[in-house]
Amino acid sequence: MNRKQRKKTAINLLIALAALAILVVELYPIGITFINGFRRDLVILSGRPFALSQLTLRSYELIFKNPGFLLGLRNSILVGLLATAVSVVVGSMASYAISRYRFRGRNALAYGFLVFRMLPQVSLVIALYLMFKAVHLRDTILGLTLSYASFNVPYVIWMLLPFFTAIDRSYEEAAMVDGCTPLMIFRIVFLPLAAPGLVVSAVFAFINSWNEFLYALILTGVNAKTAPIAINGLIGGDTLTWGQACAAGTIMLVPVFIFTVAMQRFLVRGISAGGVKG
Amino acid sequence: MRYSPKPATEGARTATRRRGARRLAAPLFFLAPSLLVVFAVLVFPILFSLFVSTFDWPLSAGGGDRRFIGMGNYVELSVSPEFWNSLKLQLGFIFIALPVELLFGYVAALLLNREFFGARVVRTLLLLPVFFLPIISGMTWRFMLQPRYGPLNALLLKLGAPEVTWLSDPTFAYLAVVAQDIWRMWPFMFMILYAGLTNIPNELLEAAQIDGAGFWRKQRSLIVPLMTPTILTALLLRIIDALRIFSEVYVMTEGGPGDATQLFSLFTNRVAFGYGKVGLASAMAIFLLALSILFATTLVRKNMSLDVLEEKAGGR
Amino acid sequence: MKKLRVMVILALVSLATLGAQTINVLLWDDPYPKALQQMLPEFEKATGIKVNIEMLQPPQVYTKTSVAVTKDSSDYDLVAMDEGNVPVFAGLMSPYETWPAGQKYPKVDKSTVTSAMLDVGMWDGKLVALPINGNLYVWMTRKDLIENPQYQKDFKAKYGYELGVPKTYQAVLDMGTFFNDRGIAAGFGPFNGGPAGVLGEAIFMWEGFGTHFIDFQGGKYKVVLDKAKAVQGLEFYKKLMAISPKGAETMAHVERQAAFAADPKGVFSMFIWPAQIAAYEDPDKSLVAGKIAYSAPPAGPAKTAAVRGTWALGIPTASKQKQAAAEFVYWWASKDIASRLVDANTVPARTDALTDPKFAKTKPWLAAIAESMKSATARPRLKEIAQIQDVVKKYWIMGITGQSPAADAIDSIIAETNAILAKAGY
Repeated sequence: MNRKQRKKTAINLLIALAALAILVVELYPIGITFINGFRRDLVILSGRPFALSQLTLRSYELIFKNPGFLLGLRNSILVGLLATAVSVVVGSMASYAISRYRFRGRNALAYGFLVFRMLPQVSLVIALYLMFKAVHLRDTILGLTLSYASFNVPYVIWMLLPFFTAIDRSYEEAAMVDGCTPLMIFRIVFLPLAAPGLVVSAVFAFINSWNEFLYALILTGVNAKTAPIAINGLIGGDTLTWGQACAAGTIMLVPVFIFTVAMQRFLVRGISAGGVKG
Repeated sequence: MRYSPKPATEGARTATRRRGARRLAAPLFFLAPSLLVVFAVLVFPILFSLFVSTFDWPLSAGGGDRRFIGMGNYVELSVSPEFWNSLKLQLGFIFIALPVELLFGYVAALLLNREFFGARVVRTLLLLPVFFLPIISGMTWRFMLQPRYGPLNALLLKLGAPEVTWLSDPTFAYLAVVAQDIWRMWPFMFMILYAGLTNIPNELLEAAQIDGAGFWRKQRSLIVPLMTPTILTALLLRIIDALRIFSEVYVMTEGGPGDATQLFSLFTNRVAFGYGKVGLASAMAIFLLALSILFATTLVRKNMSLDVLEEKAGGR
Repeated sequence: MKKLRVMVILALVSLATLGAQTINVLLWDDPYPKALQQMLPEFEKATGIKVNIEMLQPPQVYTKTSVAVTKDSSDYDLVAMDEGNVPVFAGLMSPYETWPAGQKYPKVDKSTVTSAMLDVGMWDGKLVALPINGNLYVWMTRKDLIENPQYQKDFKAKYGYELGVPKTYQAVLDMGTFFNDRGIAAGFGPFNGGPAGVLGEAIFMWEGFGTHFIDFQGGKYKVVLDKAKAVQGLEFYKKLMAISPKGAETMAHVERQAAFAADPKGVFSMFIWPAQIAAYEDPDKSLVAGKIAYSAPPAGPAKTAAVRGTWALGIPTASKQKQAAAEFVYWWASKDIASRLVDANTVPARTDALTDPKFAKTKPWLAAIAESMKSATARPRLKEIAQIQDVVKKYWIMGITGQSPAADAIDSIIAETNAILAKAGY
């Protein structure tokens, strides 16, 4: 017993070391960006990539004084949350229907969602622009949220399919016997059981919205502009402001990170509340 | 007893038409919101795109008049070397990047699917690259690979790599774009596969443990089959994302040097927003759509129909 | 009082939604409009017009304008157009002569705009947009290098003439080679970034060697490139590439700035857009602030070609706020604001601000810009320019990096440009 435990500890230690190595590689570019947010542009370009002299908060100061960026950040968070909520609700319902009911055209529908999503935004955005302009949704948070549903809903549907499919039918049969309606079964039985999937799809719906560039560029004006557009002004230009761009990149990581950590708590709770393994 | 069994025969279907109508009510209820949304913001724009693809349609109203040209855009595409080149680059990108991402993600999911000190922290931090804003990622990679001051270039030199100006060489630039994507997106695979792994009931794993199954046997006969739907889904999702990759590559290389990294999606953007040829760009999109429908109806339908996926999920 | 102010602001904002005195303005993102934005509250206070400025990168300004401005509707009341895009949008803009008279600020006489810049806003014989900045090739040379007595002596000994600001292509090559071979600094900073900029470099060389790229003759655009001269220009640039820093093949503005301004061994001399001077003269970003000699670009064997890339402001015909938009332009283009923009190290298009003696000492680049303007050179102006740029960029870079022989590169440029023109119906 003792030997077995020691072996287990040793394996865990090895894995922790491997994990650390992976992390170092994966976080290297992010670490560079993080550090550069605190370095002067001249030091960033000095050819001493790891020199930590003359650290400064100037870039952060400037970026927080940039009204476009602050508004963009606010809009990004708003659109991200709204788009995630809409897509997860709508998408999980559809995914449930596709995975639990047999109807004609089920395959076609499921793959239809997926195939349509393959189109690059550039080929859809002009139609969306004209449409939104006609119904006065151009340059609004709501319009942008809807446009983000176009890539998020199919995403959520497909991401949830394996999770719903893996849920044993005995649960819903039991619920049926108890007299639950389909909607109740969906809400009370399925959603908690597929909690990990819901969390994963929510996280990715959020990220997809957070990172989106082209719709945000074309479908907004001064009001609903999101952060990536504001940041693009810092990096795409003739005179790059390295420090500020890196500071902005770092700042942009924070909300997604918080969102994910918050979601992870639900993840754990969702699994235990579902009581699958009890 | 299945909750909503497949109709056994045609005869049974007629007999149960009324029940069938009622049966359709429930899925329709669940599908309606998504159909509505997707029709408005996805299907309608696609139909519009299809329409536009038959026109010579300048982006700006100042760019000239719109002219119906039938299949003209498609003909132009078929003889455009840039178009075929971009398609080739895009497919190559997918065929190199995705398997690597899948492999990394799967191994990491297996590795980290246990509790060790700091496991949760590691799993969370690992997602940071996925969260990294694509334009910032592109900028950072471009910066890191610069000859004089690039930190990654410096590191590679220290590790004994030959001195290369990465982004100036067509092959290396292409590989750098692929590497950037692998770096950023394999944790995505990891997250989905990890969520799938945690969904495998412990009893099954324990039973296999009691049976004395070794690591490889457990993989082959238990985990991989159970994970197949998740793996396939992750791959599908990555494929459609990889087809739309844009801003990171644009910032990193602008499609260059030459057109070495002018992926399909970048070229579409160039045609629409650089040349102002919306009709031609729409034709490219429709071509892509046709290609993916073809792909879905042949390859996918045979091997990945939902029923098959479900059977692979253990027939539960 | 504070509450009142807030209410007034709120009222103004809500008026905005009703389409009253608020204008939406689309500008490009660089230090110049940013400096203007700092002064904007003064304008808003003086006129009660609220100005919503949207700043985007140049390619996106073009995209946004294309989508958002049509004959019947426009999301913007004022748009900035990059020189090359004026032909595309000309038909959608109100000619300057139809702009209303100013209420608060007098209408700016177009003769105040430097004549070398005025062409930018012309299309079909009409001024459709008012050029607003003075952007054309200016040459930068590292003063600390040319003033070093040892280098002066050594250079003279080797090349037989004085080291200084290079006046000819050959001098750029000689001096650049001198510094490059001694490991003091790379000799030249090419531009191999975006297609529009690469076309600029090609035009710079071609015109310098005495050949024109595209001409407008008898209602048709024609490629008039002289192959022999074009090959010479390309071959010369290839020599300059050999004395350029590592990674020169993909050097865009960002890398050029890093090389010239942040690396003591970076680059000896190269061109710059005046719009970027503010960054090179910012001690926070630049090691060479105050150490740059500015001049007109060196002359080629045939002539001096200062390639131009200026922005012009247009009011869409479909705008419903023409009066307010015009008012804003009149304010922006006034002598007072132009002077203050010069003071902020940016470069407006007004002659009187650029030549104001009070700046002569502190803004050494102004004299160079004035000198450059004497040989302002336009890139081809036609609607198909984006495609042509791509062709030029592709083969030009293949040529200067030795991936294809110079003659083949020029042949391809001529053939493919002709194909584009033929397809466009010329």
